[in-house]
Amino acid sequence: MKLSTYNFLTSMAIKGVKVGFPLKLTISKKELVETEFNPTFVERLLPKLDWSAVYGAAQVAELAEDIPAVQPESIADNEELLQKLHHLLFEIDVLEGQLECPETGRIFPITDGIPNMLLNEDEV
Amino acid sequence: METPHFDHLTAQDYEHVYEPAEDSFLLLDALEADLPFLNVLQPRLCVEIGSGSGIIITALSKQLANTSLCLATDINLKACDATRRTARHNEARVDSLRCNLADVLRKRSVDVLLFNPPYVVTSDEELQCQMFAGGSNPSTERNLVYSWAGGKDGRRVTDTLLQQLDDILSPLGVLYLLLLRENKPDEIIKRLEGLNFKAVKFMERRIPGEYLYILKVTRMPS
Repeated sequence: MKLSTYNFLTSMAIKGVKVGFPLKLTISKKELVETEFNPTFVERLLPKLDWSAVYGAAQVAELAEDIPAVQPESIADNEELLQKLHHLLFEIDVLEGQLECPETGRIFPITDGIPNMLLNEDEV
Repeated sequence: METPHFDHLTAQDYEHVYEPAEDSFLLLDALEADLPFLNVLQPRLCVEIGSGSGIIITALSKQLANTSLCLATDINLKACDATRRTARHNEARVDSLRCNLADVLRKRSVDVLLFNPPYVVTSDEELQCQMFAGGSNPSTERNLVYSWAGGKDGRRVTDTLLQQLDDILSPLGVLYLLLLRENKPDEIIKRLEGLNFKAVKFMERRIPGEYLYILKVTRMPS
């Protein structure tokens, strides 16, 4: 699971959960996957991302010094930051770890790069 | 649009995961035919529900030349794994998630949604418990049943998705949905109108024993 994907995941399907976002991420094994840097795409994706979850992911991935805690007004001409966001969002593949619902504490394991977020019948 | 390589998948995989067939290729052909639309749309998040082998979302990811985030969901872990391997094998950037439909994604985030649902008309019993994790180690047989058993009119899973569509699609989002004639596509189009969506039969094809459609669904212009 890439950290860009993490930004879209919620636990709101659990019965009684109101927001379910952001999930609490733990990384126990990750892999670096080099991918081509496309500054335009990173910039276009940003309005769709939740910055607090971007920054939260950076903290877990130990890249917090690369990413400002508050989203800068303009990023388009800040190639250095776009490059760092690219690395954070697309080049870190979480192989083992977990996601935790912020409201219920329900844990979703990440195994072999795949988050298992399928709920049981009594949870929905 | 290039058909992804899937020679890495073996007969052993196909015991658990739906093997690409005419329906998969029709969905690929529809996406290829609608590339001019997709290029204008510039989707940022594309999601395939029930990705199975993963060839469709992998093909789309390759076509969009990695300028879009592509995610695949499936309730069958073996399918999630097959999708991940297919993406890797084709050097596509696709993440795989095990969940029900798109129920883990933030609301109204999906720009392109693809769904080749379990559309075969069956008894509802064959569908029972399909939406849930159930046992930790589902049998081979059950894994594959998920991929085709559609309950009454082959519509149970599709109807559930359509009910959630407003929460899934982004304001400019589009759904490409594969249907069988027995699923009553005209009835589905009417139902979607009631939900404020515009649906058209975008492509259709007769194959041995089945007549297939691709429905293209967008929000009704306000």
